Amino acid sequence: MENYEYILETEHVSKNFGNLVVLKDINLKVKKGEVICIIGPSGAGKSTYLRSLNQLEKISSGKIFIKGDLFLHREKDRTVERIDKKTQQKLLLEMGMCFQRFNLFPHKTVLENVCLAPVQVKHEDKEIVKAEAMELLKKVGLAEKANEYPNRLSGGQQQRVAIARALAMKPEIMLFDEPTSALDPELVGDVLQVMKDLANDGMTMLVVTHEMGFAKEVADRVLFMADGIIAEEGSPEKIFNNPENPRTQSFLRSILNV
Amino acid sequence: MKSFLKGLFDIKNWKKRTMITWVVVLIIIAVCIVLSFLKPSEADMKAMASPEMQEMIKADESSSRKRVTVTYNSLIIVNYCSFSTSGAKEITEKYVGFVGKAFQADEGFGKFAGQMVNYTYRMLGCGENILHGAKLTLFLTTASTLIGVVLGTLLALGKISKNKVLSKFCSGYIFFFRGTPLMIQLFVIYYTLPAVFGFAWRDLFSAADNQAVYKGAFIAALIAYGLNSGAYCAEIVRAAIQSIEKGQHEAAKALGLSYGQTMRLIIIPQSVRRMVPPVCNEFIMMLKDASLVFAISLMDITTISKNIMTSEISYIVFLPALVIYLIITAFFTWIFNAIEKKFSLYE
Repeated sequence: MENYEYILETEHVSKNFGNLVVLKDINLKVKKGEVICIIGPSGAGKSTYLRSLNQLEKISSGKIFIKGDLFLHREKDRTVERIDKKTQQKLLLEMGMCFQRFNLFPHKTVLENVCLAPVQVKHEDKEIVKAEAMELLKKVGLAEKANEYPNRLSGGQQQRVAIARALAMKPEIMLFDEPTSALDPELVGDVLQVMKDLANDGMTMLVVTHEMGFAKEVADRVLFMADGIIAEEGSPEKIFNNPENPRTQSFLRSILNV
Repeated sequence: MKSFLKGLFDIKNWKKRTMITWVVVLIIIAVCIVLSFLKPSEADMKAMASPEMQEMIKADESSSRKRVTVTYNSLIIVNYCSFSTSGAKEITEKYVGFVGKAFQADEGFGKFAGQMVNYTYRMLGCGENILHGAKLTLFLTTASTLIGVVLGTLLALGKISKNKVLSKFCSGYIFFFRGTPLMIQLFVIYYTLPAVFGFAWRDLFSAADNQAVYKGAFIAALIAYGLNSGAYCAEIVRAAIQSIEKGQHEAAKALGLSYGQTMRLIIIPQSVRRMVPPVCNEFIMMLKDASLVFAISLMDITTISKNIMTSEISYIVFLPALVIYLIITAFFTWIFNAIEKKFSLYE
């Protein structure tokens, strides 16, 4: 079958904005189908790490492998390993991303939002893409909203469309950057349900989240990030019930005892 | 474009107010059509001349030197006819025709009405080719704004591009054309370029064409106004593009869209709505700046009105000029509003 051990691998990923170090030497290996939740205080570099995986942030140094292939390699002395643009694009498309603020295209309808990238980037047949898009919208429970503009939808519905839009590219890894942080509390449930279904279908997921309940229930592994490093990692039971690192302990105490 | 037109004439979805506006407009058009049929014919108007004048006109037919100048202006619902003799005995007779009757227009309200009709007729450039009066103003403004928007979009994309040379070039272009007066740009293009490169604008047209000078001047004006408008539009487009959320770029990038696709499919369509009000502004500025073409021997509304003032010593000539400008502005404001509405459908 696949000739790789880890679907996503980062080696010594570091990033700094000038003198401010945001990510320090982060190593992570993710197996296919794993669901990883990244938690931590604000400013810990969680979002930056997630965004650097698909090049929305430039890393300062480190290597990123996707499906065993080198996706990005940059060294501290600013040398960059040249990687074939086509390969890089192909690997980039293995990752789908959902943003905190949804970032749907407001001038396109829900269906157009979902169909846009497969047609424009992968040059797939319009009718086939449309049928698949409707299937995806059905899956996230929004088939009847297909011809609405995003501004007519609630935040939760918009985020579900954003998930469908990312899934339309048939990625193998889904990156979620605080997908429920901008939502009204009563709308969070629907989005989390869609994400749970996705996890049950065997999707590899990296989720930056403040939803501890979701992390406990769905995650295979939880990373606690602080000050640009992975301070502690392990199964949800271990992190939430017996955290070893004092920083993890104080973080969990502060958010769970609100 | 097709759907845009469809939206404009989509009767089912008309709101009550639009409906009323259209009904009023249609009634006005209908009334104008009826009145235009009722107004006296050209022959009727010419028959109004006094017997003395008639005689002189008749005498003119067989003589090579004409003594009577006959002017006939027809302006949709009214018409105007004047006879004036030159020579030792100067007589003028003026008539205004309206709803089947010709009125004396030598004094009082008749005179005022007659002047209005005559001035409006001349300022609109009726009876002349497209390079005169309101027709010139409209043509020049519309064409140069269109050129400006297209050029401006390219310049804006150039200015924000990562290619340093291109970006610097576009910034320099904008700096130059915004930093120098339009009139001097017009002079440079009309006078300096031909002098330096040894050509003449009129040579673009055949020597037999007696309008070649005007046509050449118009081409020069169109180039100057288009290039100038491009610089202003570039900043409008750039501001609109950069006002689109960063998240839109990121989402497009995460989906694998290239920079060109992102601009073409995501960013520019969203920025159009934000461009429309300032482009409308730019259009109206252009409309007024069009009067600068007097400097290269073209006649627009402002120039014609000033000429009438000096030749006839008539100070009410600016009244119809103002009305003409207002009507043009109102019409284009309406068009721009329709475009803006069309593009804000999703907001």
